[in-house]
Amino acid sequence: MDIREIIYKTLIAGDSYITLLKGLGVTLQISLLSVVLGTLLGMVVCAMRGSRFWMIRQIAAGYIAILRGSPVLLLLMLMYYVVFAGSNVSAAIVAVAAFSLHMSAYTAACFYSAISASDAMQAEAARTLGFSKWQAFTLITLPQAANIAKGTYQSAIVTLIQWTSVVGYVTITDLTRVINNIGSRTMQPLFMILVGLLLYLGMAYICYGIFALVERLVVLKKKRRMKV
Amino acid sequence: MSMIRVENLSKSFGSLQVLKDVNLTVEKGERIVIIGGSGCGKSVFLRCMDLLETPDKGTVFIKDDELTSPKADLNRIRRKVGMVYQGFHLFSHMNVLDNITLAPIKLLGLSRAEAEKKAETLLEMVGLLSKKYMMPEVLSGGQKQRIAIVRCLAMEPDVMLFDEPTSALDPTMVGEVLATLRLLAKQGMTMVIVTHEMDFAREIATRILYLDEQGIYEEGTPREIFDAPQKKNTRDFIHKMKYFSWHIESRDFDFMQLQGNIRSFAGRYGMDEKRTNRLLLCTEELICEMLDYGQSDACVDIQIQISFDERDRCAVIGLRCRGAKYNPFEEEAEEDSGG
Repeated sequence: MDIREIIYKTLIAGDSYITLLKGLGVTLQISLLSVVLGTLLGMVVCAMRGSRFWMIRQIAAGYIAILRGSPVLLLLMLMYYVVFAGSNVSAAIVAVAAFSLHMSAYTAACFYSAISASDAMQAEAARTLGFSKWQAFTLITLPQAANIAKGTYQSAIVTLIQWTSVVGYVTITDLTRVINNIGSRTMQPLFMILVGLLLYLGMAYICYGIFALVERLVVLKKKRRMKV
Repeated sequence: MSMIRVENLSKSFGSLQVLKDVNLTVEKGERIVIIGGSGCGKSVFLRCMDLLETPDKGTVFIKDDELTSPKADLNRIRRKVGMVYQGFHLFSHMNVLDNITLAPIKLLGLSRAEAEKKAETLLEMVGLLSKKYMMPEVLSGGQKQRIAIVRCLAMEPDVMLFDEPTSALDPTMVGEVLATLRLLAKQGMTMVIVTHEMDFAREIATRILYLDEQGIYEEGTPREIFDAPQKKNTRDFIHKMKYFSWHIESRDFDFMQLQGNIRSFAGRYGMDEKRTNRLLLCTEELICEMLDYGQSDACVDIQIQISFDERDRCAVIGLRCRGAKYNPFEEEAEEDSGG
């Protein structure tokens, strides 16, 4: 069969591409929401991890240990088939909840280790100049910790996007599911898997690209100020 | 008016009591140098003055504000107290200019232009204006420390605390930092300095505090403390600072350890590699001479003492030996190692 024929059959005939885009949209939606919610929750857990109180620290440490150590697919199934089994919460929301929890444990660990790795004495030096604890944190510790954390954090995001490919298990029609469906319907599974791979790869690199762009902007802003 | 007033300050870490009922008043324009052996609480004492360590007991006043009061506005009081660390602790994600202007802009409400102008004046004063756009990591230790001092000065502090400002520096860079401190002294800055640079202490201090036995063991003018210390621990400490001594009791003494210790003694005075080697060779030569000709096999007893005079930069090696009288030179048993 001609390649053009395959492309036509799999991606165009019967508006396949619309189905594909819908699947992509679902994957993006779940990923994006989970990243945002997971990061916010992760910040809270990270703050708890560094709390003054022993109990709170231990709770946060336990939370991170358990969630980071357990497979996200099992977490997802547990939540869908057990925790929310009787309720009529939609599968997509359950998925977002499960991935957010997973993401929060990763980001909490990542942020916490980055903050621990930044120089506490620089923050103290800021305090001696008269900055409050919060100012010393946001002006000194945070920018340095962000710099340390960014590599781990962006790979956590990319890993999360890839992991959302298991939401098919809980009846959600995401990108992977659509690719599977089209592949088996048109008897072109290999081609569709390649298409899927490219799309996931594309998402990963868009994510890396956004990080690189932000970094470039920060550097440019600094340089511009020096010239003035 | 007193700049700092410490009353009945006590501080312990766990079961270790570091300071006990310490009192100190620092007047405007005074330059106080705190000396003492390692672990005697010098740094803790200094850090208590900025409440970087919370005392167990006692009060600290900065001018009229009680720093130890629970109602004290720490952040406001600290603006008036500069702190310079052994390890510099410049903000590593900011260039030199931002390091200096951050606090004046955010805390004193200066505009960026005003703050930068002031920073540039201060940088020029310490001779580092050309480094204003550099990142801290590319600067040498001495440069970093001068920037750290400028960072404090930009807040126009009333008093500055220095916690071993030259201890982390290469001997070649100590001078430039001390020169900056001298400059501040000339401008009448009130300073409290913890240091191991005894000659500098003698030169700059208006008062020396020797810390030992959980408090201020002895205090006085540099002349009193360095030339005529009254109490035993002070005398021992001053002697140890001035002299390197070593005792040889057997022929197979630890030569490597002796060499290492002489090296660090020489390093403390910024002696260069060539002179240090000559010092080592001379010492070795003298010991060998004495062991070969001046000592019996049964009883070896050689006391070595090396001193270094900072003024004419001369090292003097002295050997006192028990046993037969022997002179490695014809006339005298001392040797000048150069200079």
